Amino acid sequence: MTVHIEEAPAPPPPVRGAGGQDGDRRPPRRRVPSGLVPYLLLAPAVIAILAVLGYALARNVLISFQEFGRKQLISRTTEWTGIENYRAVLENERFWDSVFRTFVFMAVNVVLIMVLGTLLGLLLNALGKKMRLVLAISLVAAWAMPVIATTTVFRWLFDTQFGVANWLMRTLGFEGYDQHNWFGSGFSTLAIVTVLIVWTSVPFVAINLYAGLTTVSGEIWEAARMDGASAARIFWSILLPIMRPFFMITTFLEIIWVFKAFAQIYAMNGGGPNRESETLPVMAYVEGMGQNQYGMAAAISVLTLVILLVAMSFYFRLILKQEKENS
Amino acid sequence: MKRKLIAAIGVAAMTATVAACGSGDDGGSGGSSDSITVWLMDGSAPEPWVEELSAAFEAEHDVEVNVEIQQWDGIQDRVITALSEDGTVDVLEIGNTHTVGYANTGGLADLADFADEPWNAPMLESTRVDDTLYAVPWYGANRVVIYDKGIWEEAGAEVPTTRDEWITALETIQENTDAEPIYLPGQSYYVMGGFVADAGGTFAVEEGDGWAGSLATPEGQAGMEFYAELQAFSNAPTDIDEAEPQQSTDVVPNGNVASWIGLGWEAAGAIAAIEEQGGEADFGYFPVPGETADQLGHVFLGGSNLAVSGRAGNSELANEWLRMATSQEWAQKFVDANNGGVVPNRTDVTASPEPGSFAEAMVASADVGYLPPLTTGWANVETLPNPIKELMTQALNGDDYQSAAEEADAEITERINRE
Repeated sequence: MTVHIEEAPAPPPPVRGAGGQDGDRRPPRRRVPSGLVPYLLLAPAVIAILAVLGYALARNVLISFQEFGRKQLISRTTEWTGIENYRAVLENERFWDSVFRTFVFMAVNVVLIMVLGTLLGLLLNALGKKMRLVLAISLVAAWAMPVIATTTVFRWLFDTQFGVANWLMRTLGFEGYDQHNWFGSGFSTLAIVTVLIVWTSVPFVAINLYAGLTTVSGEIWEAARMDGASAARIFWSILLPIMRPFFMITTFLEIIWVFKAFAQIYAMNGGGPNRESETLPVMAYVEGMGQNQYGMAAAISVLTLVILLVAMSFYFRLILKQEKENS
Repeated sequence: MKRKLIAAIGVAAMTATVAACGSGDDGGSGGSSDSITVWLMDGSAPEPWVEELSAAFEAEHDVEVNVEIQQWDGIQDRVITALSEDGTVDVLEIGNTHTVGYANTGGLADLADFADEPWNAPMLESTRVDDTLYAVPWYGANRVVIYDKGIWEEAGAEVPTTRDEWITALETIQENTDAEPIYLPGQSYYVMGGFVADAGGTFAVEEGDGWAGSLATPEGQAGMEFYAELQAFSNAPTDIDEAEPQQSTDVVPNGNVASWIGLGWEAAGAIAAIEEQGGEADFGYFPVPGETADQLGHVFLGGSNLAVSGRAGNSELANEWLRMATSQEWAQKFVDANNGGVVPNRTDVTASPEPGSFAEAMVASADVGYLPPLTTGWANVETLPNPIKELMTQALNGDDYQSAAEEADAEITERINRE
């Protein structure tokens, strides 16, 4: 997934009427092809999405209205139950626990990712050539690590018997870390997952911010410094407004990525202990694939989608508003 | 600023991916007329027996037999997928506690032709739904205590015949050696079920039209308390079971385990692993002791059945294979190949265990076996996260037993009544 970052200030609009005098010259931009061509160019992407995602999504919604377990799967019967699955899910206390947990988990992660990512991005910009390279490489390495590999390493780091974390705590002189079980509670499990997700997500923010900062003209910094602005002031009054589109898009991408984080949480402890670290995607998986209640799981994932869409509608509104202002 | 709109649409598309949660389908290899596919579980059948049987069957019917060995971990998903697809698998081994559940889904073929064979009667219980035979018994097995003779001798511990003697022996080992007296992970729930059965309890009881979890009872608590007493002698974490890490090959061979509770194939696996490391296993075996010397402890009557998939590519050949594999001749060979370490599936097959062998200890306690409720919903209880395992971890970590058990009972009740 690539993201367009519109960090550079928009070029000054061409003065109206000026173009008329150079009517014979080539227009500055090539004409957009008309007719069928644009649609043909879009077709492969649209068809692929419809075939892979659209079908699965439609099927998922259908299944959510069915009683669908291993019996129905094996005997190939379809049993429509209307909104029974939704009723069961919405009445299930565990679902609401998961919703609450998912939002808290997401908020903590996104805040940490954005703050640390921004600080590291600024650091990248401020460093000299060599150290910048070292930092950039270590960031890219963290970003490029496969999810299951990093999760497995984290599992080992926090192992009860042989983990480095317990050894470190003992070495530092803390009591009670002989056989401390870091995965003994949902909170502690999710805290470890948070460290993992923040570590692997920060590079995306930091490197993109750095890329954006390189296009901010040096004169702006200089002028601000001449006026005696502090570093904090420069950030809040100059960088933040210039980079606003970047921060908005990145924040919302991170919200989505953390919201749907599944592999890290599931591979860390299977949603346990005692289902205390289940977020919505993990709960859908455990109910569906783990316990063969596919109808129930489909209902959970549809509800997850609705919740996320409602949360995101705020963002759509913001964008549409801006669109209006700019036109 | 159209690009922003595009970005917004991109975000919407990615939001949609959250809901798409799919599963991969494994391709099957069965289904053709000149081959059949048989799924056997890891550790079930000795390799020479499988090879000899396949060769004999291939010679007689001029077809190819593909025997695929499956791992227990995650087996339910694979069996469900296989049963829902045409011609994936012809004959499959199914654990005795799961058979009724699969039969109820309609995925297993009716095996009425096999009803008149002299099957072991208690084993037959797990193969029928409403008097229709959906599987045939293959073998039975139960756990015994496996101990390292060298360590026990060094400590001066004696083979126990009662629970008290057992605890005394473990204390002796703890005092006199630096070995782990017993390796017992926190979630070995079939072992715990035996202690619950000793107290007269069970995982679930029939209640009205359905079943209800019954661990929040004095019997359940007594069973768990004795389990905790044993587990205190082990260094094993309270939140793992005996399969991960696999106690027989990953834990015991690495040393200093004075005793553990395991199945025949686990003992064989541990011996092989130790020999591979250049060591020599010196194992002794005794049945799980009961509260008094005249009564052994209850053990879970494990075992497997063989069934034919309702969508077998070639059900005629599948039936033929099943008939041959469970015939008196081959069933006897199977028991012999296991050195008598299994409970035979037929009354006309005899197991003659050697003195001092695993089989001898196992057969001794086969009479005091227990089975979990053989209902269609029991398999749901055993899917992860397993409420019994969660309860055990909580109890061992010092949580209040009664409230944790009530929670587990509620979960068991909800799942066991689901088809």
